[in-house]
Amino acid sequence: MTTPRTPPRSLAPAVLVMGKGGVGKTTVAAALATLEAETRGRAVLVEFGDGESGRRALGAAHRGVEHLVITPAEAIQRGATPLFGSATLAKLALGNFAMRPLLRAAPAIRELAMLESVRQVVAARPGVRVVVDMPATGHAVAWLRTAKQGREFLGSGPMFELCDRVARELVAPGCASIVVVTLPERLVLEETLELCESVALDPGLEVARVVVNRVPLPLSREGLADARALAASGGALAEPAAALVSVLEAREAASEGAAAAMEVFARGPHAVWRVPLAPVDPSARDVARWLRAEGAA
Amino acid sequence: MSDPRVIVCAGGGGVGKTTTSAALALALAARGHRTLIVTIDPARRLAGAMGVPITDVVTRVPMPSGGDRLWALMPDPRRSMRTFIDHLFADEPEAKERVLANKLYIGLADAAAGVHELVAMNLVARAATDGDFDVIVIDTAPSRHAIDFVTYPARLAALLGGRTVSWIAGLAQRAGGEAPAPKGLRSWGTGRVEHLLARVTGPNLVRDTADLFGDLALVRERFVALTRRASELLLGDRVAYALVAAPTAAARDDVLFLAARLEKLGRRPRAVVLNRADTHPAPWARALREGRAVGPAITEVLDALEQERRSRATAADGLSSELRRQLPWASVVRLPYVEATAPEAIVAALSAELDAHLAALLPDAG
Repeated sequence: MTTPRTPPRSLAPAVLVMGKGGVGKTTVAAALATLEAETRGRAVLVEFGDGESGRRALGAAHRGVEHLVITPAEAIQRGATPLFGSATLAKLALGNFAMRPLLRAAPAIRELAMLESVRQVVAARPGVRVVVDMPATGHAVAWLRTAKQGREFLGSGPMFELCDRVARELVAPGCASIVVVTLPERLVLEETLELCESVALDPGLEVARVVVNRVPLPLSREGLADARALAASGGALAEPAAALVSVLEAREAASEGAAAAMEVFARGPHAVWRVPLAPVDPSARDVARWLRAEGAA
Repeated sequence: MSDPRVIVCAGGGGVGKTTTSAALALALAARGHRTLIVTIDPARRLAGAMGVPITDVVTRVPMPSGGDRLWALMPDPRRSMRTFIDHLFADEPEAKERVLANKLYIGLADAAAGVHELVAMNLVARAATDGDFDVIVIDTAPSRHAIDFVTYPARLAALLGGRTVSWIAGLAQRAGGEAPAPKGLRSWGTGRVEHLLARVTGPNLVRDTADLFGDLALVRERFVALTRRASELLLGDRVAYALVAAPTAAARDDVLFLAARLEKLGRRPRAVVLNRADTHPAPWARALREGRAVGPAITEVLDALEQERRSRATAADGLSSELRRQLPWASVVRLPYVEATAPEAIVAALSAELDAHLAALLPDAG
């Protein structure tokens, strides 16, 4: 019996792609931007850091995708300019002998500034979807909380207003959708469920889509049955056959894990998309094609 | 008793860094070295497989061979900030209560990057002194900035010892109207900046920042002492850096990035461990292929697996020659792709492979 499912809600203007390190987050983010550009002509891919990974993931498929790289220094400068009234005053204040080491050592300020930059990017491009490649999980949830925490803590003043703007116009239902990328391994899936609950609780965002990446395609069942029989035969090939059985069983377990995850996540409000395992790096375009096949367009 | 040798494993996410570090520690222990494996960002999967609790306590790890030379330390990142404050303020209970109640501290506690690494390294430093280990394997967080934390102690100490703290304290007093602004031409720029900052951030932030830093300045000496030993362990000459990669473009970029970071610190990776980089079909696959009694269904599966192995190997060949070109001083250690359901089976298989490469990974005895 299958649970009746409501069709997945459409994505908000900002799409925040989250997941633990190494799950293929950047490629999925690039694929979502590619898919969006193919469907609606334009999309933005925002990346924090040096921008190499996004560029590489986009590859030749970047038509219509505007790729923006936000570094902490630029974000602080950009976020501070309206606060201080002018770029010169902002530079003066931020370049102050005492401020520089403080900014280097205090993490929340950078994170808030980077979220503010994303908010500005979204606000400047009405009608264009902005896909954000967020940092790895634990850190990303802490990021999303900085705006609300800052708002509660500051109480008033221009910086309070900045936090308030980020909290209302970016980190809010209807403004941002969360897409979580995960892998078909039991413990990674458990962590993903925890992540979904944790972002729903605070800052109160719903996970709109779960992408289960690198789902292995099971090899032939007949091959596994034959290998098991050979392993049980006690002959000279029993030992090598047992090694093959263990490889095939690992694949079976992973594809069963993926199926179980589909079940669990499908009960929630999020749509689940699967991306198959490729022996080497897939391009954003490959992943976009797979996502389209899963009904993502 | 001499200092232990240290191997720092770093790499991007998803390359099998934690599993490789565990396998390396197991291989060293199997060769008779008293080995401690420290996981900065513990995966519960591996902790579970090794039977190690995620706590601040060094725990003996049962070895498959029955040996007793392997220990693990997997501190919980969620408890780090609190542990850190407990250590720092051991002799200043009142200041500690103030810090824990400080709103700024509460806001920062779960966002503060680098604190967990510092705490973990302090635990390592203590274990190194108390534990009589031959080798310590440190599995860093899966990040391009995983090794940056070696510079945090100096950075934070500079912050606490520098003019910033007294300046912020003065700023807070003036924002609260308790002290007059400094006079004179030289202070005009400073006064202006202070005025701007106070206006922008509001009095709460300035006051709480000042309080927090004031209390931290109280324990500066302790802070420096706590972190000095950690820096020595990480930057001393009994340390080797091993970068872990897999044959993907992302992993290649991460490794080259980390190598460049190390270069800035005046260090070089001793080795790059390349996972999923099998050079030959596995012996069992060859045996099955040559066997007479093997049916077509098995042959078909073997063909599919061999095709996958070849595409991995082609990517790994490309990456390993690029690494040899760009990092000619580092040895490249290639490990096979191990597929198994149980994590401990993967650790055991990789550790058997690593046994032949220990000399390439261990720092010189010095």
